Amino acid sequence: MSAAAQSVGSAPRARSERWAPALAGALALVLLAAAAEIVLDGAAGHSALIPKSPVIAGWLNGVGERLGFRVFLIALLASVVAYAGLVALTRHTELGAISKRAAIVLIGALHVIVFAGPILLSTDVFSYIAYARMGVEHGLNPYLHGPASIVHDPVYDYVGQDWKHVATAYGPFYTLLSYPLGLLSVTAALWGMKLMALVASVGTLVLTWRCARQRELDPVWAILVVGANPLYVIYGLGGAHNDLIMLAAMMGAVSLTIGTTSRGREAGAAATIVAGALVKATVAALLPFMIVSRRRLAPIVGAVSMLLLGALIGYAAFGIHGIDVVSALNRDAAFVSTDSFAAEIAHLFGKPGVFPVDHDLLKVGLVLIVLHLLWRTWRGYDWIAASGWALLAISVTSTWLLAWYILWPLPLAVVTRERRLLIATLAVQGLFVIHQMTPLLAPVS
Amino acid sequence: MSVEQASRPSAFGERLPEWLRAREVELPGLGTMRLVETMVLVVVGLLLAIATIDDVVLQTHVNHRLVADLSTWRSHTGHDYKNVGVEQDIYGHTTRDTVCGNTKPGPPKERTQICLQMTGPVVGGRREVHGGWYLPAKSDDLRTVRYGCFGAAIAEGRCPR
Repeated sequence: MSAAAQSVGSAPRARSERWAPALAGALALVLLAAAAEIVLDGAAGHSALIPKSPVIAGWLNGVGERLGFRVFLIALLASVVAYAGLVALTRHTELGAISKRAAIVLIGALHVIVFAGPILLSTDVFSYIAYARMGVEHGLNPYLHGPASIVHDPVYDYVGQDWKHVATAYGPFYTLLSYPLGLLSVTAALWGMKLMALVASVGTLVLTWRCARQRELDPVWAILVVGANPLYVIYGLGGAHNDLIMLAAMMGAVSLTIGTTSRGREAGAAATIVAGALVKATVAALLPFMIVSRRRLAPIVGAVSMLLLGALIGYAAFGIHGIDVVSALNRDAAFVSTDSFAAEIAHLFGKPGVFPVDHDLLKVGLVLIVLHLLWRTWRGYDWIAASGWALLAISVTSTWLLAWYILWPLPLAVVTRERRLLIATLAVQGLFVIHQMTPLLAPVS
Repeated sequence: MSVEQASRPSAFGERLPEWLRAREVELPGLGTMRLVETMVLVVVGLLLAIATIDDVVLQTHVNHRLVADLSTWRSHTGHDYKNVGVEQDIYGHTTRDTVCGNTKPGPPKERTQICLQMTGPVVGGRREVHGGWYLPAKSDDLRTVRYGCFGAAIAEGRCPR
């Protein structure tokens, strides 16, 4: 190439190298400002978007105003647009839009902002605390009773109305993990839950980084896609959901399997998946894909060993109900949320809601998808991508869809070369956000 | 389709017949499969997108009606109460909604209530009242406890007598 041609080609590149970091910086500021707006306004309390809670963010009170749907949805939309721009921009590493340090600072700042604020958008964390206090303070089995059995406990008033009579659906490992927090005051336990979610999120991101690097993918981009995701930050971390612990276990298992032929590590990976499933059962979806892909005894031995250990611990701590995962899953599978795609499709076809026959059809659809993915994995398809598809299919076919459920496939999607998985996951998240927009379009005074 | 490296077979894996062993690369011949998968994904994505937007439009209409219903009840009764109960047809089969609230100031449902039945489009932020009835204090809107039906509610037999 001649010097003249080189200079013509390098000019646009030099220009893009100038504007790309500036644009990325502006988008990062929008993300931070939107998160701060939600947290500061949320700290003012008296909002339908902030669950009734002990005052844990009182020191932020007075800075913001009561969080209304309009402000929240505008902030959420701004976050989504900024996130989409940042993800698209950083996809092209040659633009140098964001450095490793800047990405870590952005994600760290988002985490600190949300950690410092009140619980956002969900009462689930109070159910976690209630189950812990039932076991520790009241000697009740949380697999047999709902929080309604401790009406005089200080946490009871904060538990969501729909969950007051519902026994825990989480695995025995999670319940035991939460028990030490049951010894503390509700406020201290709440901080403990927030800290657990924060540590789990950081763990998930570190493991995502490691997996991406091991697979020769851009780790900076990978952690940005996960750690700056508005649903991950606002709903997942903001609500201190235990899904983050499950995701950390999931990425731990994936990390153990990448680039190794060690039987010990493969057994450890399978055991980690089972341990994750004893926190929240969904992650068990990865196990068949790992086993079909590896076709070695080690993962089976690891999974069975951990299952036996978990069953033993669960049985010793909670009796037969502590290991009866199937009943809990069957019960929860019958729930219907207005945000589920099943409910939306039912409305599209003029039906008032989801009927039992629809549940059966969705289950059949899910089984067919999983069988297809297993067949593909058998033929050599990337088991991590197949697992991601399975988790996405579970959330899309579930009649009980919540924002943090569509986070499940995200860390897997960024550590595989299967681009369709990431596009599909982000598209589903986008549709979820669009579905929240009604109060913005038609506010009710 | 991405092709990821699988681990080398172990001693156990080496004893397996060739067709059962773990694969380092995905078997060839899946070009059409990828196309079919992508088409299915696009179709499912379109269905989900249409269902989502349809639901948002439906909810938006319901909210518009709700605002108009509340405004209409307040202007008809002359009471600017906040706690007014609305029963809507949220699935859009009809536009008939019922709004009930106290006839005198007091906690929700603690006084005699007046219910108004509204139908038709929102015009100027209000809807047309076609009829209604009264309910005793501390009562839910059940047909057995309604009395004093007026307007179209009489012909429709909304009250027990």
